[in-house]
Amino acid sequence: MEAIRNAVDFSDFPWSDRMLALAVFCLLLIFPLFPYSAFAMATMIQFFIFSLYGMGWNTIGGYGGQVDLGKAQYVGIGAYTTMVCLLRWDIPFWVSMPIGACLAMAWSFIIGYPLFKLKGHYFAIATIATSLVLKDIFEVWKFVGAARGLGILPYKYQSPDFLRLIFKEDLYYYYVIFAFFVIGLLYMNWFRKSRLGYQLRSIKDNEDMARSLGINVHWAKIKTYAIATAFVSVVGSFHAVYIKNIEPEDTMSLDISILIALMAMLGGAGSLWGPIIGAGILIPLKNYLKEWLGAAAGLLGIDLVIYGVIIMLISAFEPRGIWGIVEKVRRRKRI
Amino acid sequence: MDILLGSLMSGLLLGMVLALVALGLTIIFGLMDIVNFAHGEFLMIGMYTGLLTAQATGLDPLLTLPLAAGIGFLLGILCYGGFVKFLLRGPMIAQLLGTFGLMLVLRNIALMLFGSEDRALLHGLLVGKSFDIGMGIIISATKLAVAVLAVLSFAGVWLLMNRTKLGKALTATALNRQGARYMGIPTERMNALAWGIGSATVTVAGALIANFWSVNPYVGLTFTMIAFTVVALGGFGSVPGAFFAGLVVGLIMEIPGFWDFFAITFNIGWMAHVPMTSFKYMWIYVAYFVIMLVRPRGLFGWKQ
Repeated sequence: MEAIRNAVDFSDFPWSDRMLALAVFCLLLIFPLFPYSAFAMATMIQFFIFSLYGMGWNTIGGYGGQVDLGKAQYVGIGAYTTMVCLLRWDIPFWVSMPIGACLAMAWSFIIGYPLFKLKGHYFAIATIATSLVLKDIFEVWKFVGAARGLGILPYKYQSPDFLRLIFKEDLYYYYVIFAFFVIGLLYMNWFRKSRLGYQLRSIKDNEDMARSLGINVHWAKIKTYAIATAFVSVVGSFHAVYIKNIEPEDTMSLDISILIALMAMLGGAGSLWGPIIGAGILIPLKNYLKEWLGAAAGLLGIDLVIYGVIIMLISAFEPRGIWGIVEKVRRRKRI
Repeated sequence: MDILLGSLMSGLLLGMVLALVALGLTIIFGLMDIVNFAHGEFLMIGMYTGLLTAQATGLDPLLTLPLAAGIGFLLGILCYGGFVKFLLRGPMIAQLLGTFGLMLVLRNIALMLFGSEDRALLHGLLVGKSFDIGMGIIISATKLAVAVLAVLSFAGVWLLMNRTKLGKALTATALNRQGARYMGIPTERMNALAWGIGSATVTVAGALIANFWSVNPYVGLTFTMIAFTVVALGGFGSVPGAFFAGLVVGLIMEIPGFWDFFAITFNIGWMAHVPMTSFKYMWIYVAYFVIMLVRPRGLFGWKQ
């Protein structure tokens, strides 16, 4: 009960924030009532997917300050578990999703134990290395379709299949991922006030100090890493049934890992709203840049150039993200 | 037996070039603790420079090295002065993502300019020539020349870092920036210079590699990871360390060759069925992971 009360309690945010969040929530809830294009709908679903990834990353990377650039491997584990279970044994989504999360968490414990002996840059590059190893293995592993990946044939299933989560209309996917999003947000709201959340923030500020206060730093990091992993893997499972066609190159590539970290950083790492703001800006930007400049104007790559320039500008001039700006303005007002 | 010796030889030759690829990264990292994700993209620029000038002027690709070095030097200084300087003030994640953004920009500009298809050098003094030194070892002339040039460039940088006043100033900046500034060393200029030298070495390496490796806008990332591994193994910031580590990583990249040797010599059936060439790059990542755990300082590292 205590935990639930903590999860729905947003009272430490100012009144204006809560009203704004509520307004956005209502808008998102009734978004499909407005006339929308299929492209806008896909963008919205992608926004939810990536803000959930970002929330997962935010536990370890934002609150814990451990720059993890290997989250894509867990997207891959979740997505592939769901896909393989569905195609080979016809196991429904709601069963294969927890299996995938358990597998991903087991793997995160195995590599997390040695991984967290490293610090800083070394840690970040090592996470990339593990992710790329897994991707290389998946690219030659025949059981999971090697480099060509796996695909669901949607006509084999009756369209509103709530067990396997296979729908013809994106509308269903929208509400499913929206429910995930709300649960994830509530969980994060609980997490930041939990014991582990406070421990992580103290580790981020000063690791030696945290250790001297009796926090088991190594174990706290591994636990948080597993939580982040579970988040990412669950959404990865959803990604698999939503996209219906997965291959190592687009589920597990470094670009995904970086995008996840970038989203949280753009919005403001280590804050509740950060990843959501980041995803809300970056995903539409990325998709529409590609649509307008890449596909329409026939300039291959120009969307990524603009996108890269934006990344460079943010990291050079506002590394604490949009939430950092908001907090700075507020602090100035108070003084 | 000849497979073994051949693999050993080509691994060592490749290793010398990889050492040169990683040299720039180790200079930059040793000096200012920043990890440059765009390193492989600098290499790609070097490859395109070598390839396109050789194709446009009809010169031998090996003669394009000074041009590649010049372009690399300017690019490095431009990147430092226009961008990296601002990154250094921010937290570590900003540095990682910022250089990743630089990588995206460079890669996609190359994509827009040159298209996504593979390009390779087909003409040149040494391209396609090789000599047989007995025992079944065949060394292609380009690889040998490239390795020799790589060693020469390496020696040049080593001399610069260890035998000149400039090198001393660079080392002093790396050891203690504040102290160096008190001694009258212009540390800001030293940082810019380190970026210049670092990217000049890597573009030279790129122009060399273009002799036997086809180039497309996406080659960068693999080389970035290779360079990270080499630098980790050699010790972050160590020049001789980078050289020996380069040789070791060159051998690691030849693991498929050794695997075949064992499979054939001892006639082990299951070994022949493993598609080892698909795992070529995986061993590099595994090696990085293991090195960081066993010896985080690297072989010759002086900086924790």
